[in-house]
Parts: sequence; structure tokens; C-alpha cells
Amino acid sequence: MDRFKLRKAEPKDVPDLLRLIKELAKYEDMEDQVILTEKDLLEDGFGDHPFYHCLVAEDPSEQSNNNNGPVVIGFAMYYFTYDPWIGKLLYLEDFFVMKEYRGFGIGSEILKLLSHMAVKSRCSSMHFIVAEGNQASIEFYKRRGAADLSLEEGWRLFKIDKSSLLKMSSGPEE
Amino acid sequence: MHFKVRAAAKEDCKEISRMIMELAVYENMADQVKTSHEDLKRDGFSPNPFYECLIAEVPDEHKTKDGHCLAGRSTCGHVSVSGQRQPGYTVVGYALYFYTYSTWKGRSVYMEDLYVMPDFRGKGIGTGLMAKVAQVGVEKQCVRLQLSVLEWNKPSLDFYIAKGAEDLTAKEGWHFLRFHGQTLDTLAKEAPKD
Repeated sequence: MDRFKLRKAEPKDVPDLLRLIKELAKYEDMEDQVILTEKDLLEDGFGDHPFYHCLVAEDPSEQSNNNNGPVVIGFAMYYFTYDPWIGKLLYLEDFFVMKEYRGFGIGSEILKLLSHMAVKSRCSSMHFIVAEGNQASIEFYKRRGAADLSLEEGWRLFKIDKSSLLKMSSGPEE
Repeated sequence: MHFKVRAAAKEDCKEISRMIMELAVYENMADQVKTSHEDLKRDGFSPNPFYECLIAEVPDEHKTKDGHCLAGRSTCGHVSVSGQRQPGYTVVGYALYFYTYSTWKGRSVYMEDLYVMPDFRGKGIGTGLMAKVAQVGVEKQCVRLQLSVLEWNKPSLDFYIAKGAEDLTAKEGWHFLRFHGQTLDTLAKEAPKD
């Protein structure tokens, strides 16, 4: 497994990205929530205004179904956010290694590369969210020094869906 | 009370910085603020901005006792070179946000800060700021807006829930984690070399 390769995602990786996104959603018992398509991923990641960046992990020894190229076996999707108190942050949106490839240090190497990229881009922190039921992931991160801000400082995540956004944005102007 | 919401200009960074500190004091975390107005200017008003910001202003006759006004000066009413600032208006609130991405649903907007000075609350200014963030999000085809609130901050919790916000920490168990400072540096030093 020390022969796996980490690199930046390219447009051709989009089908593999969607496959892995769905596998991660299934792992989190939320696979019916993935409504993104390959077209969305292509436009949103590789268009004029990228909304995300992506790293992929490949196993060059495997053969894919269509040709003899390497198989993408893991990915990390991230983007840059902003904390008005400390400045730029790297936000890790998704991070997944296929089940059969876990336990070989691939996830660790991805995390270290992301951290290196964060520091190089002048980010003070790398943030992400984890479901409290996902003990394996929480332990993985805590072993490496992650702090749980929801427990330590009491932060709660909220969302407002599009229908409520539309209602808000069409409200009376002062 | 009449108020206006507009996009922030780089000249507003001193005022934004002042209000960021006021919000941090309200959240009992003032010692955590490390950014200066120069950092805000560099990070929000360069060719590749890391955030966008909206400002709420009221006419000068409503300015606070300590005379809060554009660019932190005690006299109000001058026009900036950019022409974007309104003469005779005082900055009383802001909303800072950026675009994020959900691998399940696509483009999202994250509202990082929403703040209205205490003397100007209860007049619809917070609602007005947030409505504008929502409008910008919808225009950019975002499917949702996300934000975070401290669990003890009941006025804010009530404000957002009234607008349709759902607590995903309570409902789905999501926790915020981070690698910060030394822990981030330690990981970075072990990264595979190119």
C-alpha cells in the first residue's frame, strides 16, 4: 500500500468522485441525500469559479473496469473559508478511503498533505464536522490532536433550506 | 427606523473590525480575535476574496452617543472616493459570509457572522441583513444557508429558528472539530514530500 499515489483531482475524475461521495453517504446512513450529479461536480469544481478543491488517492496496481489505468480509492474535498477572528481556514468537507483500503495509512497521509497545504496557504486552522455517532472517525481525528468545538465551546450547526431562503429574500424592504 | 443594506467597501474594514470585536466580546471570546482591519482588507478585497460582507447603515441623526460613524471618525457625512459610502450614514451592523460546497447537495452559503450594535436591535436590521445574504445565495444558486450558534445564545437561537433554521447538531449529531496552531503544524511537517 505504500505505492499509492496522492494528486490533485482532474475533470476526468468526476465519475469516481461521485462514486466515492455516494459510498461515504452510505457509510453515514444518508445515501438518499446525495442529489449532486457528475455535471454539477464538473461545473462546480472545474469551471470559472471553483466552489471546491479535491485530492484523490490512487492505487496504481489495480486495473479499472474500462482500461488499464489506476483506480481512485480515496478522496478529500476541501475549500477555503474565513474566520473574522483568525483569518483564512481550510475546511475539509469530505474525506473518504474505500473500506478495503483502510488501515494502511492512506487516510493519515491525506490528512498530513491537507495540513501542509493549509499551512502553506497561510491558514491558521483546518475545520470539519463529524457526526457524533461516527466514533471511528472521531477517534481518528482526536488521536491526531483535533479538538471538538461543539463539546468544548458549545457551537451548534444550523441550516436553512432553500424554501426558507426564498421566503426571507422576498420579505418587505425597509 | 430607516436603514440601508449594501455591499461592504474596503474603506469599511475599520468599522467591520470594530464590530467583529464587539461580537467577540458578546460571545465572551474577545481574546481570540487576532485579525486586524488590514488583514480584513487583504482577505476580502483582493482579486481572490475569501469572504463577502454586507453593511447596515442608518442616517446620521440615529448615530450612537459615542458617534459611531464611517471609518471610525467622530464626524460623519463625507463621501468616499469609491462613491459607495452614503454621506450622512452610520455603520451599525454587518453580515460576513462565504460560499461552501456540499457533496450531497451542491453550492451553499455559510453566514459566518451576523451582528447589529445593541442600540440598533429590535428594528429589523438583522432581518434585513440576513434577507440580503439569502438573496445573494439564491442568485448564486445555493441550495441552503448554514451558520453556527453557541448553545447558550438564546436570543440568536430564537432569531434563527423563527426564520426556519434547523439545529443539525441536535437533529443529526454533527460536531465541529478543528486542527489548530501546533496540532496543524505537527501534521503538516509529516506530509509526504512532492
